[in-house]
Amino acid sequence: MGIAEQERDDVLLRRAAKGDEDAFTFLYGRHQAAMYRFALRMTGNAWAAEEVVQDVFMILMRDPKKYDPARGALAAFLYGIARNRVMKHLERLPREVPLQEKHDDGSGPGIILQDTATPSSWLEGRERAEQVRAAIMDLPPEFRETVILCELEELSYEEAALMAGCPIGTIRSRLHRGRALLLAKLEMLRDFPRRASVAR
Amino acid sequence: MKCEEFEAFGLDAQRDTSLGEAERAAAAEHAGTCSRCAALQDSWQSARVELRAFAEDTVAAQTPARVEMRLRQEFRSQHRTHRWRLAAVATAWALAAAAVLAGAVSWNTWLKTRREETARHLRAPQSGNNGPVNGTKPLAAGSQGLGAADDESDASLVANNELNDFTLLPGVLPAETDDLAILRVRMQRGELGALGLPVNEERAAEWIQVDLLVGNDGLPQAVRLPQENENP
Repeated sequence: MGIAEQERDDVLLRRAAKGDEDAFTFLYGRHQAAMYRFALRMTGNAWAAEEVVQDVFMILMRDPKKYDPARGALAAFLYGIARNRVMKHLERLPREVPLQEKHDDGSGPGIILQDTATPSSWLEGRERAEQVRAAIMDLPPEFRETVILCELEELSYEEAALMAGCPIGTIRSRLHRGRALLLAKLEMLRDFPRRASVAR
Repeated sequence: MKCEEFEAFGLDAQRDTSLGEAERAAAAEHAGTCSRCAALQDSWQSARVELRAFAEDTVAAQTPARVEMRLRQEFRSQHRTHRWRLAAVATAWALAAAAVLAGAVSWNTWLKTRREETARHLRAPQSGNNGPVNGTKPLAAGSQGLGAADDESDASLVANNELNDFTLLPGVLPAETDDLAILRVRMQRGELGALGLPVNEERAAEWIQVDLLVGNDGLPQAVRLPQENENP
């Protein structure tokens, strides 16, 4: 059995539009993590991801009538808003100079990786994850988005096409080119430490 | 299947639900025969493992709690304002409706009062007409609130709309009867001569009652003699 009638997104949104704070909080709790992950992986910046999530839900709160249940799921609608915000963020990124690159504890403002393994494997895993992150961040935004949706979020091609608002053929071709670029980048990053140690 | 086709959609053929069984089989067959594409597939599989590991590292990422706090705060303030606005609009409409209702009630009352007054005015002369006594002084007030008719003028405004039996005075043209009033006066028969009517000189000193049709300029237009003193 699916989500109960009273917990359906459109029902909750209608209640939220009438001033039901609990309904809005429920909707937020249901969708915030996916939005945040997407924004974080796209921007590589926790502050930017936070801002994107806030903007997405602010728009939903101020104008809930913008969402039409007949046109698709609320998640797709929210992804659409998040995507636009992320793209705007990425467009103005070259002009932005971060004031503080690191927190007081030394961690960066970007993706915080979670690993509970031993220190050496943790270090190795973290290094590799950092390479993957760098390789993803190096992809052009359209390819990055497709790789994130299909490979990290594990959406089907149809779902990814719905989220990105483009035909399935476009998703396939973007994924193809994104994979090629990603493989090349990962190969290069994998070889770089080896070449560096051989040179030493 | 060619290598280009394999790179384009054969690499992920097992996952792509839009591909048919035949295409999937062709992709698997190509990977079995082409060493370059098989290496590419292996390379992509290991990259996918790394992507999965990276995804799992960030899968638990959550929006900081402060965002929820900020949104809830904004939600409350927005809906409080909205509620106030709704209340203000409702109050304004209620006040407007009350004003319209009050206006309608007072207009209706005024209309009713006016009708009653008119009816009273109409009833009063009729009752006065019932009891006039010939040969007496003026009896009742006028029809249009002109009841302050001068007693000393020996005149009375009679609310009798019958204009029969009136004789136009010499030199007077028939006029609209809307603005005319009928006055019953007591005069000596000889005074009819002043209005241009022939008078029997032998009875000139006799007192008679006469109905005068008076225009809004105050001048008599026509005259009627009651039955008892029909012959001037």
